[in-house]
Amino acid sequence: MEEKLRRALMWLVVLGVFVLLMIVASLLTGPEGAKLSGVAWLLWTAIAAVGIYIVYFATSESEAWVVGTRQVVYMAIGAALYGVFCWIFNLIPMPAISLVALRPAVCIPIFFGYIFGPVVGFFTGAVGNVIGDFLTGWGVFPVWDIGNGFMGMVPGLALLFPDKRRGLNALTLAVEVLIAVAIALIIISPIIPHPWTGEATNFGGYIWVLLIAGAFAIGARLILARFGIEMAAVNIWGALGIIIGIGFASIADIWISGYTFLVTMIGQFVPAAGPNIINAVVLVPILLGAYRAVQVRMGR
Amino acid sequence: MLVTWKYKERDTIIQRLDPRARIIFMLCAMFSIIQFWDLRVEILFFCLSLAYYFLARLSWKETRRAWLAIGFMISTFTFLTFLTGRGGTGVYEEEHLIYKSPPLSLPIIKKQISLDITAERIVFSASQLFRMFAITGLAITIPYTINPALYGVTFHGLGLPDKFACAMDLAFRFVPTLGRDFSITLDAQRARGYEVEKLEGGVLAQIRKLAPLVVPVTINAIVGGEDVIDAMDLRCFGLRKRTWLYKLEYKRRDKILIAAGLAMFVLSTAASISGYGRFWVPRWLLDLSLD
Repeated sequence: MEEKLRRALMWLVVLGVFVLLMIVASLLTGPEGAKLSGVAWLLWTAIAAVGIYIVYFATSESEAWVVGTRQVVYMAIGAALYGVFCWIFNLIPMPAISLVALRPAVCIPIFFGYIFGPVVGFFTGAVGNVIGDFLTGWGVFPVWDIGNGFMGMVPGLALLFPDKRRGLNALTLAVEVLIAVAIALIIISPIIPHPWTGEATNFGGYIWVLLIAGAFAIGARLILARFGIEMAAVNIWGALGIIIGIGFASIADIWISGYTFLVTMIGQFVPAAGPNIINAVVLVPILLGAYRAVQVRMGR
Repeated sequence: MLVTWKYKERDTIIQRLDPRARIIFMLCAMFSIIQFWDLRVEILFFCLSLAYYFLARLSWKETRRAWLAIGFMISTFTFLTFLTGRGGTGVYEEEHLIYKSPPLSLPIIKKQISLDITAERIVFSASQLFRMFAITGLAITIPYTINPALYGVTFHGLGLPDKFACAMDLAFRFVPTLGRDFSITLDAQRARGYEVEKLEGGVLAQIRKLAPLVVPVTINAIVGGEDVIDAMDLRCFGLRKRTWLYKLEYKRRDKILIAAGLAMFVLSTAASISGYGRFWVPRWLLDLSLD
């Protein structure tokens, strides 16, 4: 019990320093309108922390949560890589109501999470996103940093299941249902008013993006499974990570930025999650294949 | 493996100070700066920031790139604030029109805009400019004047457990290395005929064509990481509570700096609560108003 308490306190300190880092980075970058204010972002940071605590304590006996030398180094490399790639690829913006960019870099937290565990995945996504936004000068958006952390942490939870086949069909179904819900939302209300300018914007074209993302996720699950169940698993866990991470940040923005449910889901979630899933489905298996080849060569 | 930020050992007042004291002072100054919108106060803080920067004795040559990049960003944000008038919401309510431009046609987006130049927009933009440059002047000295070897012990001093302090330390130190690796890979692929500017084909093909950039940089970093892991394992990293090669100890001058920073923050907060330092527009500018 004492050990668990000590670990809980350690995670609390880590979270505190992370929040401080976000405040400082926010002061240094971004336009005035995007500076951190109010307490809603802190409340959602706490909600995310509680969620992570619940998952951690339910599975704390698993080796997936161990933080050794390897994890420390790969946390650092992952965060730096994600930061550098975000900085480079943030220059390709997507039509959306906020700062959403085409991010091939999304493959980094998913890959690091899946290979090195949920702690490495979360650190890679969250700290990497802070570094990337800091370097780009966009400002700091804590719930989006945590959302990026989830994108790395969820694929890392795959390590909790030694048998990668277990539950994969159920996960595939969950991903497809969530994508179908997003498509349904766009069909219900394809045109939404931009929350800043009031200008009506049509997001109908994103139906195709989501259809492609859904088809890719299923296709990758079925086709890549022939080359190894791991290839299929990383895609489905990655897609789920993206949906949970971006979904968390988008829903939090209802309270933080004052968007309505439809505006945040159609104007933020869809433009970010759809292309991210496509990016991940294409790039993560390539990275995984290259890593396994190198691993065999190095004998580690 | 590691390419550091452009740190250089110098015998200056700033570099003789403890990095923790400097970070505490910087935080106090930043939290003081953001409490005011009065242009005169922002100019004062800007002068403090300039003094701090010059005491670090950094040359224009070594900081030029950083200043240009940040200066461009700040100027763009300020110009956009000036154009749209957004950003001043809540800071001022009334606007005094000085000049109204005739409608301008924007050819690409086929829209017409008109620019209202008001006294408040001008002063707000100037305040924003001085405010952001004051914060930048304090922050920009950090990578040039704090020894990268002290990042870890500084994060540890902020309360992070050893492993996470090391991870943060390494993450910040890897950024310039990986940035350099990316540009080397890009150059190498270009030499082989890869044209990142001409990514043709469908969405799938375009994303797949990014793999020659993303995969080598990532795998190279992971392979290089194994050397770092070996080096750390050989030094028994993580087996027990670690000691740090460099020890930080507060000296008298560090305590004075921290006290000065805290005093500045307390005074600024008291002044701000009492209503001093709010948005201010010079009388002569208001007299130019067309109203």
